[in-house]
Amino acid sequence: MLRQLAISCLVAALALPMTARTRPHYGGRLRVEIEGEPWQRPNGLARRLVLDGLTSMDAKGIVQPALAVEWKSENDSHRWEFRLRTDVHFHDASPLTSVAVVTALNADCSANCPWTAIQAVGASVVFTSDSPMPNLPALLASDEYLIAADAGGNIGTGPFQLSGFSNGVLALTANESCWQGRPFLDAIEIHMHRSIRDQWLDLGVGRADLVEVPAEQLRAAREQRLTVLQSQAVTLLALSVSNSGALANPDLRWAIALAIDRRSLFDVIFQKQGEVTASLLPASLTGYSFLFSVERDLNKSHEKHGGFTPPLLTMTAESGNAMQLAAQRMALNLHEAGFNVQVVAAGGARPGDLALRCLTLASNQPQAALEASLRDAGVQAPVLEQTPANLFGVERDFLQNHTLIPLLFLPRAYAIGGRVRDLQLRSDGTPLLANASLQDAP
Amino acid sequence: MNLRQKLLLLLSLTVALVVAAVAWTVLVRIRQVFEQHDQQETALFVSQFQREFQYRSTEVATAVDRLAASERMRNMAFELEHSGDPSLYVNEAQTLAQESQLDFLEVIGPDGKIVSSAQWPARFGYFEPFSWVDQPAFLKTEELPDESTTLGLFTNRAVGSSEPNTSQPVRILGGKRLDQSFLANLPVVPEMQIALYKDADKSPATEQSSLGPDGSLFDPKRLICAAGEVPNAERYETLIRSAINSSQQTSAIINLTDQREDSVSATAIPLKDNTGKVLAVLTVAISRGGMIQTQQHIRAIAYGVAAGGILLAILASLWIAARVSRPIEQLARAAEEVAAGNWETSVPERRRSRGRDEVDVLARSFNHMTSQLATQRERLVQSERVAAWRELARRLAHELKNPLFPLQLTVENLIRARALPEKEFDEVFRESTVTLGMEIANLKTIIGRFSDFSKMPKPQLERIDAKDAIERVRVLYEAAGQNETSIRFERELSTDPMPLDADPELLHRALSNLVLNAMDAMPEGGILKLSAKPRGYQVEIRVVDTGQGMTSEECERLFTPYYTTKQHGTGLGLAIVQSVVTDHAGTIAVESQHGGGTAFVITLPKASETKS
Repeated sequence: MLRQLAISCLVAALALPMTARTRPHYGGRLRVEIEGEPWQRPNGLARRLVLDGLTSMDAKGIVQPALAVEWKSENDSHRWEFRLRTDVHFHDASPLTSVAVVTALNADCSANCPWTAIQAVGASVVFTSDSPMPNLPALLASDEYLIAADAGGNIGTGPFQLSGFSNGVLALTANESCWQGRPFLDAIEIHMHRSIRDQWLDLGVGRADLVEVPAEQLRAAREQRLTVLQSQAVTLLALSVSNSGALANPDLRWAIALAIDRRSLFDVIFQKQGEVTASLLPASLTGYSFLFSVERDLNKSHEKHGGFTPPLLTMTAESGNAMQLAAQRMALNLHEAGFNVQVVAAGGARPGDLALRCLTLASNQPQAALEASLRDAGVQAPVLEQTPANLFGVERDFLQNHTLIPLLFLPRAYAIGGRVRDLQLRSDGTPLLANASLQDAP
Repeated sequence: MNLRQKLLLLLSLTVALVVAAVAWTVLVRIRQVFEQHDQQETALFVSQFQREFQYRSTEVATAVDRLAASERMRNMAFELEHSGDPSLYVNEAQTLAQESQLDFLEVIGPDGKIVSSAQWPARFGYFEPFSWVDQPAFLKTEELPDESTTLGLFTNRAVGSSEPNTSQPVRILGGKRLDQSFLANLPVVPEMQIALYKDADKSPATEQSSLGPDGSLFDPKRLICAAGEVPNAERYETLIRSAINSSQQTSAIINLTDQREDSVSATAIPLKDNTGKVLAVLTVAISRGGMIQTQQHIRAIAYGVAAGGILLAILASLWIAARVSRPIEQLARAAEEVAAGNWETSVPERRRSRGRDEVDVLARSFNHMTSQLATQRERLVQSERVAAWRELARRLAHELKNPLFPLQLTVENLIRARALPEKEFDEVFRESTVTLGMEIANLKTIIGRFSDFSKMPKPQLERIDAKDAIERVRVLYEAAGQNETSIRFERELSTDPMPLDADPELLHRALSNLVLNAMDAMPEGGILKLSAKPRGYQVEIRVVDTGQGMTSEECERLFTPYYTTKQHGTGLGLAIVQSVVTDHAGTIAVESQHGGGTAFVITLPKASETKS
């Protein structure tokens, strides 16, 4: 008995440090390196750390309360009332009020908003619209509608607050009075404009804790045995096609859609990551995406093309080697179909006739995700349908215009260093750094 | 143009022509030498460039060989031949090309499709036309993502050794771009410019091809050098076209501007692909500016030397002409002096010549001749003087003898009359004394005439008009002539003024003598014509009669003193006339034919009209 007790005590004594190692530690400075800007939209890393929305998505894509603790709809979703959380303060110590929320949302969304009017009513914010807004709580969880106290969007209610910026390094410190509770990390350094190669080198030598892994390099990251956090396919790679000028003819746009070889993009450029798609929503959300053909049909493209030779078309692409390569590949595909396409740098004097874009899947709810995607594509009509068949109809009607040609769904991924603990990705693929901690934190 | 000027002109022209011919020959030879040097230099640079080009070809081949033999590439080839998943290597070519310092690199799988392309990464999966055997470096046009094409030096190698069961090995096609950086790395010397005219560079905006048969467009913007576009590229069009059409190296001198200094000696080298098609033309241009400046410098010196030579030649010609012509001029002046009657004139003789110089011989002969002439004239004058004295003595004796004979007879008669009675003696005495008085008076008259001739006064010049002088004579003698011998006077006077600076009395006396002679020549009557007219700077006065005229012998002796054709003339009238005319710087001439009348022509210098 004593022997058993002694053994039990010994096991318990040995188990104590183990449990201490797994428990999150407060403190430490997390070093993050990114290729782009931390404040860029959508999904700028710093925005999610500094700012909060009225709602948020959890890791499973379910809408959760954030600055708003509850909400209700009236009048067949024409009116929504969001009651704000109390005792929430911005980083400058000013209280979160409904007026501040209305001001921030009006600043964020001056046009193309789901609502028609927004007003502060006591501790609540009321959204009204001429058309129903069934997906408003999910839409408000997106990066687009985060609440900031200033016009620059640097003062929010998030778990971290801006403490400095110098030499391309954005410094964030923990918000001690965060309504979600203090984050484990004391500070986060975000090193911007670092190439993927440099990020990986820094991660390898311990100078970075979190680095980006583009989808096309996921295989290489795994081959290098990096610890990779990978989301679901949340980024839609799509070709935006102008419906004016030389491409006002819908048959030409259709010919373009038919001429693109998605398989080569998927297999080679993006290294078989994500999924090939011709629909706006992934099959995991809708189940009907197979109904949209992803195969290249050059003969039909020529048929639709009708021998007409449009003038030189220009194509722009978002930054990134893979995006540029994909744009050039599509230009090559289109050249075979009789189109003369030149890939040009984005931000030129006039927008390109074709634009290769990345759209973020805003929600795990099909209706909300479809509405957000359509809004990204410039269609403001709300998605009211609930059944997959009806959603298919909405999506098909939109895609038949061929102003947006879905190509691939790609995952988002990050590689983490060995001392990072408890880091998860949100449903949109952004890292949930507020819950992360460092193993060697004091 | 005198002898000196002719000699000067002749010598100057001769020397100038010689200098010009020498200068021209020198310049032509210099130009030939420079052009020859220029051609040799161009050929040397072209040869050097071709070696460099060959070296670059070898360099490309070496780089591709090294890459093909690398472990990394062999592993890739192995994986591709076994796994068949080329997507893993889609970006590999860019890295490999960068490491191997190649501009172009394509990895081609066993199926002939591009696995990875450095120059056009998006072309993966497309077939690449190429040879399955290794090739030395060759030229090829390569398409680029912006739909342009560029020219490159390529080589094609198999990677490792393919598996026995595999039909074809993995191959790599690598190369370097023939562009501005390629040109910039070529060894050039100062004043040398290497440019490339690329047909392959086809920008999306300009699709047309420039090279090929005649008639195609030439785009000067496609001629590039290390610094960018070649200035005045259009000037190379003919050379480049020639190289393209002939597919041979072509050389020419190209004037880039209107200035000769801006010309270049250019050689166009056609660059061909494996099929012999000209893909580009490389131009090697060497500036001729330095050479032309040197030529111009030499030419300027030559012109300066020539000008100086010509100037010296002129000066020397002046000296030579003066030296040669001076004695001749002296001879000419001396001859003129002799012609003017100054027979004592002589020319200086050079002491040192000692007779070897023809001019000195001529001068000595001239001096001898003039001295002989002077001696002869002296003798002639003395002879004439003796003859004149004899003639004077004869005439004087003749004139005196006529009155002396009656004097002698009268005196003898008086002597005989002494024997006569007194009364008769008185009568004879009275008659004799009368006769003696008459004859003595006659003797006085004769002596007076001789005295007058010897006392010809000097003319007192006044401004008169020839018309007045003639009118005065006509008025004096016209009445007498008409009354005595039925001589009709005519006059023909010019209306123009005929001023003379003359002594009016002497001139009246001379004209009177001529008129009296004319009246004596027409005892039976006739026409006496007096005329005067200006002739240039002279006034011509004519006294013409219609008498019997004179023989030529009479005309020749007419102005000899004491020569007369009249029975009672002294022969001094015309001598006096000639003396008066000569004293007035004039001349007198006679025109006469026997039986055709006589005309005396006096020419006197016309006085200046401005003188009052």
